[in-house]
Amino acid sequence: MAFGLIGRVVGTKPSRLSTAARLIPARWTSTGSEAQSKASSGGGGANLKTFQIYRWNPDNPGKPELQDYKIDLKDCGPMVLDALIKIKNEMDPSLTFRRSCREGICGSCAMNIDGCNGLACLTKIESGSKETTITPLPHMFVIKDLVVDMTNFYNQYKSIEPWLKRKNPASVPGKEILQSKKDRAKLDGMYECILCACCSTSCPSYWWNPESYLGPAALLHANRWISDSRDEYTKERLEAIDDEFKLYRCHTILNCARACPKGLNPGKQITHIKQLQQSG
Amino acid sequence: MGASKLSGMQKQVLSLYRGFLRAARSKPIEDRKRIEMIVSTEFRHNSKEVDRKNFQYIEYLLRLGTKQLDQLKSPDIISLSSVKVVASKT
Repeated sequence: MAFGLIGRVVGTKPSRLSTAARLIPARWTSTGSEAQSKASSGGGGANLKTFQIYRWNPDNPGKPELQDYKIDLKDCGPMVLDALIKIKNEMDPSLTFRRSCREGICGSCAMNIDGCNGLACLTKIESGSKETTITPLPHMFVIKDLVVDMTNFYNQYKSIEPWLKRKNPASVPGKEILQSKKDRAKLDGMYECILCACCSTSCPSYWWNPESYLGPAALLHANRWISDSRDEYTKERLEAIDDEFKLYRCHTILNCARACPKGLNPGKQITHIKQLQQSG
Repeated sequence: MGASKLSGMQKQVLSLYRGFLRAARSKPIEDRKRIEMIVSTEFRHNSKEVDRKNFQYIEYLLRLGTKQLDQLKSPDIISLSSVKVVASKT
């Protein structure tokens, strides 16, 4: 799993160098015009694509609306985040969205693009003239435009106590707690989670019970700590989530595995927890 | 108000207001008056300006207020202050 991730990041970097060099100086300043003049050497404004973006402003509250923006794809990077930055830079500075690393590792730019949850910095703009609809993560409270309230999600992550808990001190005091390669391999597929919330917000069960059901992301991390051989509170962790609502709202819909931008499978980890509950 | 039966949302707004006043009671007296003044002007202003049917905005304000109230309840916080910003039409 880690192998595949490294391959993906290395692969995208060289091809995006030219666009990155253009985009980085032209952030949220007026140097957008310089970037434009450098780039507009190629042909007339062909290849326009319309983006329909969800807008809602708490300062002028009315009904939320989908606003249309036209972008020339020749002048824009390949990812949806590039288009959003271009719109904010040149057309509408009031467009609000979260973003940080632009390489799919921070999880800030999670949003719903054409009906599927994903990271804007990793989702390619679909070529063709069909309109792309960008909305915030489904069934989350909206703070402004594409920014959603993640406090409930983070509180659920905090509630599973995502840290190492031990009853006995380390075998060699002051040194690391040793772990075999096999035991470390058990954590693959869980430690890579970036807490982007794409999986939890794609789960219909989480939509209907967001306060009581922990959601795929929190349960994936719960399994990560349950499966960690260095952690000694396994039984207590299993008992803490052995609840009708916290764990068993999962009906293996498996939308989470489809939505995860890092290719993880939270549904599989939840099944593992359920098996442990059965046998333990 | 004066409505005979309050809706669920109206009850939430009132309980938030009560929560703010209770939190203000635990602060020193000067700050307590300032908090009460800021909170009551804010609530009265919104009750006049915001449409009763604009549920999305009211819920947004309730969530914002609940977060601010949680911050205010902490013993480290001693006071509220507010700044008036006039939006310029550019």
